[in-house]
Amino acid sequence: MIAALCLDDNNGMMFNHRRQSRDSRLIANLVDFASGRRILVNDFSAELFAEYRVCVDTDFLKSAGCDDICFVENEDISSCLDRVHTLVIYRWNRKYPSDKRFNLDIVNLGYKLSEVTEFSGTSHDRITREVYIR
Amino acid sequence: MSRRAKKRKNLLIVALSFTAVLLICIGVGIYGEKSPSVPESALSSEYTTEQIITQTTAAVTETKPQPTTVKPTNPTAGKSKLNLGSIPKFKNSPYVEVNGNVPQFSASEKKHRTAYESYSPLDSLGRCGTAFACLCRETMPTEERGAIGSVRPSGWHTVRYDCVDGKYLYNRCHLIGYQLSAENANERNLITGTRYLNVEGMLPFENMVADYIRETSNHVLYKVTPVYSGKNLVASGVQMQAWSVEDKGSGISFNVYCYNSQPGVKINYSNGESALSGGAQGTTAKKSTYKKKPAVKSKVTKVVKPKNSRTVYRTPSGKRYHYSSTCGGKNSYEVSLDEAKKSGLTPCMKCGK
Repeated sequence: MIAALCLDDNNGMMFNHRRQSRDSRLIANLVDFASGRRILVNDFSAELFAEYRVCVDTDFLKSAGCDDICFVENEDISSCLDRVHTLVIYRWNRKYPSDKRFNLDIVNLGYKLSEVTEFSGTSHDRITREVYIR
Repeated sequence: MSRRAKKRKNLLIVALSFTAVLLICIGVGIYGEKSPSVPESALSSEYTTEQIITQTTAAVTETKPQPTTVKPTNPTAGKSKLNLGSIPKFKNSPYVEVNGNVPQFSASEKKHRTAYESYSPLDSLGRCGTAFACLCRETMPTEERGAIGSVRPSGWHTVRYDCVDGKYLYNRCHLIGYQLSAENANERNLITGTRYLNVEGMLPFENMVADYIRETSNHVLYKVTPVYSGKNLVASGVQMQAWSVEDKGSGISFNVYCYNSQPGVKINYSNGESALSGGAQGTTAKKSTYKKKPAVKSKVTKVVKPKNSRTVYRTPSGKRYHYSSTCGGKNSYEVSLDEAKKSGLTPCMKCGK
């Protein structure tokens, strides 16, 4: 399974049960990256993919197959990390308030950085996409 | 009584009744409207002795753009009450949640669907009060921020410490950030705030709101109240509240208190004077009143930088680079001079001379 998530400069993911930020060009980038693979999201993230065909599933982390991409915003992926062979981390390159953070030491968990891409978003000057593979 | 006289009497009764009803209707029409001279906040000022929020009953003035449909209410309406005594002491965390992170906007404030900004007039001590806005794309800037150095907020000191990011302890802190309001040198929107308050406390919240508006084109109610203790000239902190209108807060909703503190520096909030605190890491930090930009050779760092690798500051959308982070503004970030030039940026006309 491939897990994709967005982080700010403090590895923050959420604040007060809400996403820190959003960018439609980031979503388009993820859809490009998927290149035909299935994208799974939960109800919370579904609104971001209104223009695309994605699979909305409450238990998306459990039901995802090996090649599927799970876009994770408000879920903890540590429990299913053994199934995650690829991590796609989008960095906002900005600071937002956060009370839910991604605290996993991915390098110690055996993930290696394989690709870094930068692009400008619709509301972000520079978004960095990092792909880690284990 | 004759039949004619009886008819006349009936007609008179009908006429009198009609007149009475008419007078009652007119009376309701005149007196039924809410008196504009009584601010809502005045009806709900229940502050304790510890809690002193400035400008709570002050009238507000409006700036651009004018509301078109919904008549604005007093920015202090919504009955936001903050007890400074209930705020925990600063412990190197830039903010704490207030009221369970639930903003306290009134029902009438939540009806806003049009661009609106209001800034309280300065009080007798020259201090800012609540700034309230209904933010949207219309209130956001279309050009780079202008100079704000002409404004001298209450308690202002130009003072530098080596332990402070960007050296300057105090920034002219926008209550409603420029990226949201396009307000430049508005003295009613600028307070004396630490670099830490500006960059670590307020900016992340402003970023979150700005992104949301740009991506959704929705409206966000936004209220920032500087909180002063007694007659202090420098605010102890600011209360920030926001709520996204169209989706009823599912996109943006927060109520926080950001500390006007600076790790490593002790501040006298009554007048803005400051000194290094005992346990500060930067024990070699020096305090000096700013007069002139320090020469590069006075830098403590021993790292030898190649030619043109000098650090400058740029903003995400600006066409200029700045030698001073203060001139660059809240959104500025460090880049090398080389990088700035490669990106096609030209030096700022003010700090780059």
